[in-house]
Amino acid sequence: MTAHPSPHHSSHQGTTGALPGKYLTFTLSKESYGIPVLKVREIIRLCPITPVANMPEHVKGVINLRGKVIPLVDLRSKFCLPISADTERNCIVVTQIAAAAGGTRLYGVIVDGVEEVANFTAADIEPTPDFGGAFDSMFITGMAKSGTGVKTLIDLDKISAFDGTIAIQAPGLPSASHAS
Amino acid sequence: MSTERFEIIGKAKKVIQQIGLELAFVDSVNENGIDGINDLVRQLEAILGGEEPEQIRAGMDAVRQWIDERVAIDNKLSSVCITRLGDWQPWIDAAVMSWEYQLSYPTFPEGWKTPEVPPPAPVGNGAAAVGPGGQSSQAGPVPRPAARTVELLPEQTVDVVPPDSDLEMLQLFCAEAQDLLQDIEQGVLVLEVNPTDSSSLDSLFRAFHTFKGNVGVMKLMVLQQLAHELESMLDAARRGNYQLGSDSITVILAGSDILKRFVTELSNQIAGVDAGRTIDLPIPQLIHDVHSLLAGGSKAPAAQPPAAVKPMPAAPQAPSAPAVAAAVEADFAAIFHAPAPSPEAEPARSEPALAAPAAVAAAPVAKKQATNQQSAAPAVGSGIVRVDTVKLDGLIDLVGELVIAQSMVVQNPELKAITSAHLSRCLGQLRGITSDLQRTAMSLRMVPIRNTFQKMSRLVRDLALQQGKEIALSLEGEDTELDRNIVEELSDPLVHMIRNSADHGIEMPEARVAAGKPAAGTITLRAFHQGGFIVIQIEDDGRGLSAAKIRKKAIERGIIKADENLDEREIFDLIFAAGFSTAEKVTDLSGRGVGMDVVRRNIEKMRGKIEISSIEGEGTTFTLYVPLTLAIIEGLLVGIGEERYVIPTLSVRESFRPLPGMVTQVQGRGEVVSVRGRLTPILRLGRHLNTPHTALDPTQGIIVVVEAGQDSRCLLVDQLIGKQEVVIKSLGEMFRHQTEFAGAAILGDGRVGLILDINALVKLKSRTNGEAA
Repeated sequence: MTAHPSPHHSSHQGTTGALPGKYLTFTLSKESYGIPVLKVREIIRLCPITPVANMPEHVKGVINLRGKVIPLVDLRSKFCLPISADTERNCIVVTQIAAAAGGTRLYGVIVDGVEEVANFTAADIEPTPDFGGAFDSMFITGMAKSGTGVKTLIDLDKISAFDGTIAIQAPGLPSASHAS
Repeated sequence: MSTERFEIIGKAKKVIQQIGLELAFVDSVNENGIDGINDLVRQLEAILGGEEPEQIRAGMDAVRQWIDERVAIDNKLSSVCITRLGDWQPWIDAAVMSWEYQLSYPTFPEGWKTPEVPPPAPVGNGAAAVGPGGQSSQAGPVPRPAARTVELLPEQTVDVVPPDSDLEMLQLFCAEAQDLLQDIEQGVLVLEVNPTDSSSLDSLFRAFHTFKGNVGVMKLMVLQQLAHELESMLDAARRGNYQLGSDSITVILAGSDILKRFVTELSNQIAGVDAGRTIDLPIPQLIHDVHSLLAGGSKAPAAQPPAAVKPMPAAPQAPSAPAVAAAVEADFAAIFHAPAPSPEAEPARSEPALAAPAAVAAAPVAKKQATNQQSAAPAVGSGIVRVDTVKLDGLIDLVGELVIAQSMVVQNPELKAITSAHLSRCLGQLRGITSDLQRTAMSLRMVPIRNTFQKMSRLVRDLALQQGKEIALSLEGEDTELDRNIVEELSDPLVHMIRNSADHGIEMPEARVAAGKPAAGTITLRAFHQGGFIVIQIEDDGRGLSAAKIRKKAIERGIIKADENLDEREIFDLIFAAGFSTAEKVTDLSGRGVGMDVVRRNIEKMRGKIEISSIEGEGTTFTLYVPLTLAIIEGLLVGIGEERYVIPTLSVRESFRPLPGMVTQVQGRGEVVSVRGRLTPILRLGRHLNTPHTALDPTQGIIVVVEAGQDSRCLLVDQLIGKQEVVIKSLGEMFRHQTEFAGAAILGDGRVGLILDINALVKLKSRTNGEAA
């Protein structure tokens, strides 16, 4: 009868706006983004990445997180941002997101630098404005005003849900079940 | 959409296989057979959920009609129905496969739509099989509910604990039952507050269903009946046909209390306390209550249930159900070789007509069990702890990490520079302990293959009986341990292959004698270790495979061309081709050509392989090579540019550096190389995987010849790095659509290496191959 004891991952699902609370903010190129801190499992340095062939551009491959093989994506290429050479500040934010089969899975995100953990109240958060079709804002849950500027709050669950579907699949081959 | 379809198909296939297994154990006497099949068919209906194409739906409608018909008549399977189900199971299997691969569907037999004519004398059926039991005359087709409990009970005393059940099995049964009962109790408590909570209803239903299956395996028909009744009540509630009230919850609790008492008593007796004592259970009363509740809906008077609860504490003194007591007691007298019947048993014993046949039938078993008990006695104290497999896998992962970390420390160059005897001793000790730890952690998942093998002895007995053959099954190496998952996966292929051997391999006794062989055929099932694999052999001394016949058949079926030049091994391999069957007549067991190809698919799915050797007239041996565990494989590490990939060693035939002239270009794009006189296409892995690579010309690289089934392909890689055992990790759902990799592994330096999916690479369609080469 024990359900998965991590209710926090679902707290944002199905809601249109971001909830107030603590967010980890980080930079991608020159822009600032935030994700709920409850989804962050840990932050690690860049490590050797094993590329996986025939995956979308932003899926960088897999890494070894203490024995677990976890996927790594580069949100900069997902959001079509310029990618600069790796520096000391570059790191991987390991997040915990909803798995399709229920429960959670780990998901690594390359960022240009981690800023801080900020507390956003309901008053700080504004709904996503309409950018007038300039780009698809479906991954954005809201905009948070903080002392130093505006952070874009994003929904990793939604982003990751679209990773797999873009994968190139050899025609005619039913996708066999992979090693468990 | 399409992944959904494959999911449905995958689940449906599992259930269809279960139906096949269930059918093998059904005979026209066994009145409980229909419940199992009905459940499975219901499961199948739920899985398909209206998504199926109309051809399959027609088949499902037909089977539903047959079963409903049987349920309405006497809730037993008739021989007509069994024959029909026997035809139906492979049909639906083939139909689902057609659905999967978008082939044409098998034709729907017209006769299936007509309702079955009730067999003239079901009474005769029952009586003949019951034999000495004088009660069987009661077992006629009594119309319905109230009479049913009375009708079922007397016959059940004939059930004997199967000779192949042993103490170990009983212990496992108890351990699992205790867990299930805990689930049941928790579920009931939730239902008491919220009687419509669907997840509790589901879990409760599943728990009873599993329990039913378990007691069914133990042949405890009375308990199975009880679990079944409670299960049907929950099923009705689950479907919304019945509203659970406080009275029905009381009945469920009472039922689970009965089961609990039985399990507690049984585990006490296993531990040697009061062995052989009768276990009296007021089951008929309870079953009666369930029936009246279901019949009266939720408005049933609450007067009945307390009656069911009450007798329980008092049961030992005043057994409310002599018939059940006799049945349960007779079973356990057999198991525990009771030295003297305890006084409580007396009322039950006084029903001679019931107890006598059971006791007679049980007698030979009793002795065997008694010796079993003695030999297993020291193990009783050790007990069993049931652990969540997730935790177990976590532990095994961590240990794997520890081994890698350990080797990183030991091979650290700075540490190596230190010349200290003390340090090297300490490092040696560290290495010893970690490898011991790894072995122990691995062994946690290991179970002996005994139980699976013993299931086969039952199967062989039934098959021999059905076909009028004499077949002895000899088991060797039952103590060989395998990963639990593998044992589970092996069960179905083994059933197929044993059937195959019994059906096609072993001849009829007369034919055997005529051929100068003993009338009784022998099937040997053996398991042993060989070079990091578990080898399982199924050997029969039957007629063997005829290469000429197979060849002829394969040409007829269009599997090979008439002028194709094949050696014997390749011809034997043809029996694994889809749509192949050598049986001259199609029996209801095998011979429809579905089977061996499925066997091979299943074996390959667990990264094993299968080989055949046969001498015509002397017998056939199937040899399965399966990995020790699903978690570890031996891999060939190859390098392409900076990246390293793992190729499972089992699929590697050979590797070599091609000389100039060995490689032939085709249309400037394709390349073939002659491997032992055979032209094999080359797949340049570097290009195929879009990885920077150094071997621009085949002669600069290494060619690894890999095979999957009958096909092989040459993979061009930059270099061979070595052999290594790797722990397989899933790539996770993000990479579920890619077809190149079967998984990932952490290599010695802590980086991730990808494991190539050789099956997919070998079967790669020509279009992609053209691009890549």
